[in-house]
Amino acid sequence: MKYSISLFIILFSAAVFAQDSTSIYKKRVLEAAEVDFLTSYYSQDGDNAAVSGGIGTEKLTNFTPTIVVAIPLNDDDVLTIDAGVSAYTSASSSNIDPFDGDGPADPYVASSGASASDLLASANFSYSHSSDDRNNIVSAKVSVSSEYDYFSLGFGGSYTKLFNEKNTEISVQANVYLDTWQLLYPIELRESPTFNELDKKNRNSYSLGFGFSQILSKNIQGSLSLDLVQQQGLLSTPFQRVYFSDLPDRFRENFHLADDIERLPETRFKTAIGGRLNFFINETFVLRTFYRYYFDDWGINSHTASVEIPIKISDRFTLYPSYRFYNQTAADYFQPYNTALSTDEFYTSDYDLSEFSANQYGFGVSYTDIFTKFKLWHFGLKSIDVKYNYYKRDSGLNYNLISAGFKFVRN
Amino acid sequence: MGSLGSCTVVKEYEKVNLNDPDMVLGTKAIDRFEVNAQAYREAASGANGGKTGGGCGCN
Repeated sequence: MKYSISLFIILFSAAVFAQDSTSIYKKRVLEAAEVDFLTSYYSQDGDNAAVSGGIGTEKLTNFTPTIVVAIPLNDDDVLTIDAGVSAYTSASSSNIDPFDGDGPADPYVASSGASASDLLASANFSYSHSSDDRNNIVSAKVSVSSEYDYFSLGFGGSYTKLFNEKNTEISVQANVYLDTWQLLYPIELRESPTFNELDKKNRNSYSLGFGFSQILSKNIQGSLSLDLVQQQGLLSTPFQRVYFSDLPDRFRENFHLADDIERLPETRFKTAIGGRLNFFINETFVLRTFYRYYFDDWGINSHTASVEIPIKISDRFTLYPSYRFYNQTAADYFQPYNTALSTDEFYTSDYDLSEFSANQYGFGVSYTDIFTKFKLWHFGLKSIDVKYNYYKRDSGLNYNLISAGFKFVRN
Repeated sequence: MGSLGSCTVVKEYEKVNLNDPDMVLGTKAIDRFEVNAQAYREAASGANGGKTGGGCGCN
């Protein structure tokens, strides 16, 4: 009996010690607080503005300073705060009222009214918890964004399970966005007795996503993902004009006066299936590939393929050449400028919903200092990333995008 | 192709190359602006870690 009690005490102590050891040596999910300063400058041009019914300038610039702070609350939990603003100027938006500028109204010339610029402010808060063995991760998030004519509240959560010695990972995530528009119509329609105003100003989006990733060898890993999205409510944009071919054209100055705004169904179901395959070729080259097939019940089918080849030219510098191809078929409701019929139920001249192909070429540089020698207050600079992208559609629209990121870690 | 079809479990100590930051199965922080611009200018979205619809005035 005495022997049994002694054995029990030894085993119990060993078990307790083992648990303590686990808690003592458990690797923190995030070792120290991290701060990312991210920013971008976007410049776009084209001649198919949706605000002026498929013709007119699409010049647009956008500047987006953003800060992302990740804070380890303990060994298992991380709080991430992501906040930023997006300040833009848009020639086409200025033509919601093209008659408030200095010169004659013209769809190819920006007006100078209140709609010429706006500021979008957004904030996301996310919280994640990892199990002791790091094989289960749950997270929750809340987001809010606001601009002059748009407000959005979002929330969601995800669950990730790792198994097979962390060679396999499955995940599921759900998100809800509750968006509200302020209904801003083209100026000439606001007093029109024949114009039918929209009866909805809310847009709700419900998304469900599934992920699967697998390590295939010591140098190759891949993933598959499926996103299902149901949208309901106001899915058209209130200030995008449409011109009917079966009605007489009316002009004021050089500007074609709208017959109506775009009208689109109040529901849309989207499905996106994507895959990634990354290959560590050697100490210098990595191959990153991505493919996505997308379709929805508005008649749009799309293929996206991209490849990026990170090239490590030294311990600290990596180059990132990349190429992306995209194409889509047109939505069932798309009509080019002045070709829609007044008898149709739905119509839009938004060329973002037209058939097109696009090519994007990118090049980036990354600098990494694992010793974080440069200090800013209590934080050391870990990396700097700079990237440039040039995007061009076969229908003419093009944009330039310069992005930069500075990552600091608390010492 | 042999390695693709393999079901061999890669041990933690063998994941040096897989843990390289460029091997991450997703977009990097700096790529968020690119993904966001595409969500505005293209009808397709989702399955890439970016927006899937909602939360913006995009398609």
